[in-house]
Amino acid sequence: MSVSGLVERRTPTPAGATWLGAVRADQRLLIAVLVGVVLAVLMLPPLWILIQDSLTTTDAIGDVTGWTLAHFHKLFTDRDALTSIWNTLVFAAGSTVLSLITGGILAWLVERTNAPCKIFAYLATIISMGTPYILHVIAWLFLLGRVGPLNDLYRQLTGATGNIFEVNSMAGMVLIEGFLWSPLVFLLLGATFRAANADMEEAARMSGASVFDTLRRISLPLAWPSILALALFVFIRAIGAFEVPALVGMPGRIYVLTTDVYEATIVVPPDLGYAGAFSVVMVAIVAVLLAWYGRLSKHAERYHSVTGKGYRPRPFDLGRGRRIAGALILLNFVVVLLLPLLTLLWMSLLPFLRGFSLAALPMLTLKNYRTVLNAPDYVALALNSLTVAAGAATAIMLVTALAGWIAARRGPGGRILDQLATLSLVFPGICLGVAVMEVYLRVPLPIYGTLWIIAIAYFIRYMPYGMRYVYSGVLQLHRELEEAAGIAGATSLTTLRRIVVPLLTPALVAGWLFIFLIANKELAIAVLLASPGSQVIAVAIFDEWVNGQGGELAAFGLVWTGLMTFVACLFFAQMRRGRTDVYGN
Amino acid sequence: MLTVRDLTKVYANRFDAQAGGVREVSFELPTGTFFTLLGPSGCGKTTTLRCIAGLERPDAGEITVEGSTLFDAARGLAVPMNQRGIGMVFQSYAIWPHMTVFENIAFPLRVAKARRYAREEVRALVDQALSTVGLGGYGDRPATRLSGGQQQRVALARAIVHRPRVLLLDEPLSNLDASLREEMRAELRRLQRQIGVTTIYVTHDQGEALAMSDRIAVMEHGRIVQLDEPRAIYFRPANEFVASFIGAANLMSGIADRAVEAGGIGSLTLEGGPRIACLFPAGASAGCQATASVRPESIAIAPVGTAATGDANVLGGEISATSFLGGTVRYDVLVDGRVLRVVGPAEQVFSPGCAVELIFAPQSAVAVG
Repeated sequence: MSVSGLVERRTPTPAGATWLGAVRADQRLLIAVLVGVVLAVLMLPPLWILIQDSLTTTDAIGDVTGWTLAHFHKLFTDRDALTSIWNTLVFAAGSTVLSLITGGILAWLVERTNAPCKIFAYLATIISMGTPYILHVIAWLFLLGRVGPLNDLYRQLTGATGNIFEVNSMAGMVLIEGFLWSPLVFLLLGATFRAANADMEEAARMSGASVFDTLRRISLPLAWPSILALALFVFIRAIGAFEVPALVGMPGRIYVLTTDVYEATIVVPPDLGYAGAFSVVMVAIVAVLLAWYGRLSKHAERYHSVTGKGYRPRPFDLGRGRRIAGALILLNFVVVLLLPLLTLLWMSLLPFLRGFSLAALPMLTLKNYRTVLNAPDYVALALNSLTVAAGAATAIMLVTALAGWIAARRGPGGRILDQLATLSLVFPGICLGVAVMEVYLRVPLPIYGTLWIIAIAYFIRYMPYGMRYVYSGVLQLHRELEEAAGIAGATSLTTLRRIVVPLLTPALVAGWLFIFLIANKELAIAVLLASPGSQVIAVAIFDEWVNGQGGELAAFGLVWTGLMTFVACLFFAQMRRGRTDVYGN
Repeated sequence: MLTVRDLTKVYANRFDAQAGGVREVSFELPTGTFFTLLGPSGCGKTTTLRCIAGLERPDAGEITVEGSTLFDAARGLAVPMNQRGIGMVFQSYAIWPHMTVFENIAFPLRVAKARRYAREEVRALVDQALSTVGLGGYGDRPATRLSGGQQQRVALARAIVHRPRVLLLDEPLSNLDASLREEMRAELRRLQRQIGVTTIYVTHDQGEALAMSDRIAVMEHGRIVQLDEPRAIYFRPANEFVASFIGAANLMSGIADRAVEAGGIGSLTLEGGPRIACLFPAGASAGCQATASVRPESIAIAPVGTAATGDANVLGGEISATSFLGGTVRYDVLVDGRVLRVVGPAEQVFSPGCAVELIFAPQSAVAVG
């Protein structure tokens, strides 16, 4: 077989090369344009409509009648509104600090010391990953509430009739929100501590520093940028939090921005201009903080001085402190996970809500569980939630697999795609709910009041997470793996299909599971979009709690938590595997 | 014939004025040449390779292979990389971990647009490529279960399976350990001769370049500073950079005493007084600045008073440091305020402080730059 013979045949004519070349080279451009259009159509209208709402007056049927600054004027002169803004900041700052302290200490103990009982920290994280926020909140309301064990104990010990702790207060809100975020802080800071260069700490120890000195002078300063970035992230999320402000704050007449938006939307007739103005203010705050966060986290990554390669830093020996550390881990497990779950169990086993007491023991019954498992309503509800979450997660991963790849490889329009896909980060869930509701009330598509509108809201809301998974997944793939396919003669599409997607599968699966979990967890987006025929779990629990059906709610919540914990286990297994699968580096 | 003409690709650099990339790189290679781009990191050798592969789009220039144009900035023509008919081995090997060895190598055939390969044909070609690189029978292995050397061979088999017109090798040996590198060096050269494909090899290792190449282009700051055969590169370096980058070189600057024609022996008065005879490959006019480069191994070291033969240069000096290297001894010798590096036999040892004479032939001293 002569080389030259083949060479002749493979020689493309220049004319053919340019014509074909243009089409082939445009494959990525074609994908970019298609994805860009889909993203723009879904992402931009909600933002526009909020701005429009905040600046216009409308007539009774919602048509725009004129431009005005009255909503903003009202917002910045109204005492209540200013109080809401202040409350929001206090609430977000307080819960950030609390979650950072509890989650941060836990992360350091688990990742960098030889403390015992580490498994409990992971257990708490995995299970709370799968539990809807609202269930936690309800459990805590009970624990710290009037009939709850804390106040009950106080009354029995002192003979007083009042409460030692008023849960429907700012302190209650901060406490509960802080506990809600602590598992995530644990997870993210754990990654930071894992990635830190142990050599630097060991060098400090060799120089004669104690564990505490090393921590204070070396570990903390090194991790500081990451900690600050994470604090900002939690702060942003707490500004947009809805569950705690709605269930804990509103009964105590403590309003934050999210609950103001919610109230302004559900009153009849809805005051959309006011809700819009609130939303615009919130979006603006979040956008500024996000920009700052972007800078911080870019800075933080420079401190990650060690790459993977199965490397694990040697843990600190805490000596006699081990026991205290173990006790702290156990305490966290009890407080963050066990107490709320036991509370729900207690609630689910009683026919009506009452405090912990021996006298109540004979009344325990499985009736609530029988009702929940046999009621077609609950089964339908569960199926609704699973379908919407799975549908949104699938759609997101399909779109981000393309958009994330083009963005990470700096393909045509990559920067625009990235910005479009992550635009919805500026929306607190409740604002997005308002915006999506309005957009699809005006669009002549019959999806308002169906599951589709919830799916679309999820799609918009969780797109940035999918993007994040794909983006970092692509960066982990050595660029030469794709270039080799191109040199071998593959077109962009073939490279995507045969090389990128198969190698990206771990990241795609992890992203899918994460979105699936979080979509089933959050209340804020769906609370304004769900209607009686199209309910999802979190909203149904919210309604039942408001209607006082605590027992059935708790039983259903526990069954659901069990199911989601299973999915969360899959997620962590996938993450663990994905961590070792860095190809080509 | 592979022709690269005035290839230019400049990367804008925001931080300092010095931008990377390549500028006006030109060369012409007869079919079957083993050609090496040699230079320190950042000199533009990999950029040149990636431009030929189609992974980068040059700003200007023209690239043709066997008469067909791959790139021509003037005509706005750029054949996409997947239609260039080029084979390439990447520095990381880029073996796809989700495929078997067989599927990795068969990939170029499966995605080929020019013709469809029948199943048996694919098998035959892949098996042939496997045995060419000495991996016969490894086809069913998962690609993740290969050693570094085996991965390298798979990458090579994948690059040659579709009979490319040009084979590009991007530092393929840099990830291997020393002994394996030696072995693969010889293996690569044998293979390239066997299939007769025009090969461009990128490396920063001058030993590899000298041992393997038919021709070498030494690059610095995005330009080719010398393009020649290995022996010429080594013994007739075009400038100080080439002289010191390729092996060790003693550089001594001075002023030419009289005009010399190109390739003639002239005399050079060194800074500090002594005068030596040296070769001026490019000639010189009287009184012009010149630097002579002398290889350490070209200098004989002898006790003071040894009679020099013929017209050899003799410089008196004093040993300032010695280091024993096993087969040889390396000396730093202080000569008129400059330190010359000299390699001597291990049998005879001069100790520091000892006065010696350095003897070298005029042909061994080459005026550069």
